[in-house]
Amino acid sequence: MEKKLLLKDQLSEFYNILEETYNFYGPIEEKGNIIFRKIKNPEDMVLDYSNSKIPPKNVVFPQNEILFEYKMNDDKIEIEEPKDIEEKKVIFGIRPCDANSFYLMKSFFKFGEYEDTIFLRKRENTILIGIGCNNPRQTCFCTSVGGHPFNKEDMDIFLVDLGDKYSVESISEKGKTLLEKFSWLIDARPSDIEMANELKVKAENIISTKLDIEITIKILKNNFNHPIWNEISENCIGCGSCAYLCPTCHCFDVIDEEDHYNNSGKRIRIWDTCQFKLYTLETSGHNPRPSKVERCRNRILHKFSYYPSNYGLIGCVGCGRCVNWCPVNNDLRVILNKICEIERKEESIIA
Amino acid sequence: MISIQEKNNQIEKSIHDKADKLLREDQVDAVIGYSKGTIPMRSCPVVIRNEKDVDALIWNNFCSINLAKYLAPYIPTLKDEEGKNLRVGIISKGCVGRALIHLAAENQIDLENITIIGIPCNGIINRSRILKEFGVEEILKTSIVENELILKGKSFEKKLPIEEYLNELCKKCKVKSPPSLSSLSEICVGELQDISTIEDDFADISEFESKTTEERWAHIEDLLSSCIRCYACREICPMCYCQLCFVDQKLPRWFGKTTELTEIILYHLVRATHLTGRCVACGACSSVCPMGIDLHLITRKLEHIVKDRFDFTSGLDPETPPPMHQFKMDDKQEFMLEEE
Repeated sequence: MEKKLLLKDQLSEFYNILEETYNFYGPIEEKGNIIFRKIKNPEDMVLDYSNSKIPPKNVVFPQNEILFEYKMNDDKIEIEEPKDIEEKKVIFGIRPCDANSFYLMKSFFKFGEYEDTIFLRKRENTILIGIGCNNPRQTCFCTSVGGHPFNKEDMDIFLVDLGDKYSVESISEKGKTLLEKFSWLIDARPSDIEMANELKVKAENIISTKLDIEITIKILKNNFNHPIWNEISENCIGCGSCAYLCPTCHCFDVIDEEDHYNNSGKRIRIWDTCQFKLYTLETSGHNPRPSKVERCRNRILHKFSYYPSNYGLIGCVGCGRCVNWCPVNNDLRVILNKICEIERKEESIIA
Repeated sequence: MISIQEKNNQIEKSIHDKADKLLREDQVDAVIGYSKGTIPMRSCPVVIRNEKDVDALIWNNFCSINLAKYLAPYIPTLKDEEGKNLRVGIISKGCVGRALIHLAAENQIDLENITIIGIPCNGIINRSRILKEFGVEEILKTSIVENELILKGKSFEKKLPIEEYLNELCKKCKVKSPPSLSSLSEICVGELQDISTIEDDFADISEFESKTTEERWAHIEDLLSSCIRCYACREICPMCYCQLCFVDQKLPRWFGKTTELTEIILYHLVRATHLTGRCVACGACSSVCPMGIDLHLITRKLEHIVKDRFDFTSGLDPETPPPMHQFKMDDKQEFMLEEE
């Protein structure tokens, strides 16, 4: 499809039209952190951020989510489905890495016999209007995990920031239909397209971290009991900041909140992480991951071994949030390099 | 006056010497310290087992973690095959020393096996504050030159005075090196701190304390509203060593687990209450919070109350249990009974 142009001055109009039909989410600054929230005024959006603090996954997979509510009347139980499943949403300004994470999460939620209809419906009702990443951070490594700062395949509509305007391109059928509402968008000139292409190359060149993920995946298959896990987990404190800031982590716990006075209650799912002591703790008291060694290993294996074997995908989008916010600087890039070293060391022993 | 940069270099050099000596003479099996971070304004806790590796140890104003965390309880890699604790040397700024002493007072560690390598801390830089001030501008490289922090980005280079950008706690800290105790095996860079001269005036929270109760509550609500319950504050706190935290209790579930503001506040306030008379003012909770919440305000306020009511300062004496661990007939109780 030919590319259009959206002037930054026209952003309010763009917002107003979408806001009639959709709940419009975008990045804003809240107490010094960039977070995706429902936008009331398009001018509040901070669109030149490089990486939001909390990934936009929480728009479709919130930290606490009501699965159903119930009320008991004498001999009857009434179940009420959550109201927001069919809410139509637009996420504006999402970055390619985070858009990719929606695809990864979807692979998990629709895997196997039981599909997670709540997630899948919410995802289906959400339109992603993303912006290419002109300034990847030095902790970014999307190109090592199959992504790209200008990867548009997970978006419905893809924009490139050209200074005072955006180039606009519809990617999916949904995006194409949506753009029909904006017949007033002018066509992009060849010079705009050229500029977008230059930005793409420039962004790719900014990313300096290169990891050999193929080798890592191979090594992980055979080294479940390797002593390296002691080394990797040594300074980990077992908090959940890596997982809660991760765009692909999707583990959850389910709790019931009862209201005894009204014979009612709700079932809620809340984020959980394999880094916590209670994760997979069994009723018997047995914990298959009793120490942080097993818990750290699980985090790495889930992303770089189980995801590849189960879905043929890498469970990491290379956004670098865990690198930036790990309290003890237990850098994922360093961990993955150490794992690669296992083979090199063993090769040198054989040689 | 020597500059912060020079002082850091001196301390770092001494750390190398002490760690080398301890390991070479087999006085310890391992030394816990800080190594260079892979990103700006972070350091990385590290365990050194061989004197050949001591050069990896660093000291600068980004060494924010309270290393006592790794000894209460001992992490698996600091135990031998029979599960016995190894002999450990630990690089100890003032608050690490205080944490170790306090943990000994609570019978959580045996100081016999621990060698405190005391260092005179010159304060930790407030990373959250700097990152918030720079917003979307990415800081690519930082260095400490004389008394300034130099920050380089793609299109800027800025200099910040370090003294001004330290944690508020560190600016007003009265215990820069570990408290001196005759019972401890300690080696030190410079002088250890004489405990008789330590008088915490809580100047770091004076602004918070000057607010009315309602204002303080509003402030706490506002602070905590961005909490994502990753529990980094709890997991980094050297005093949070419970095998099962109250908030993780499931049978029955005592506390809500969602990010509803009331449930967030309950978690933080109950945790702070459990730290009453135990917080050693290291500020690690605030340093590690990914959302940049100044969590230490709550525990520091409680410490001030403890100081006023019980004249107790945590982490100075391994023999005295904290006030909440004991009962005295003359404890003030005017909040229950009207005093004459």
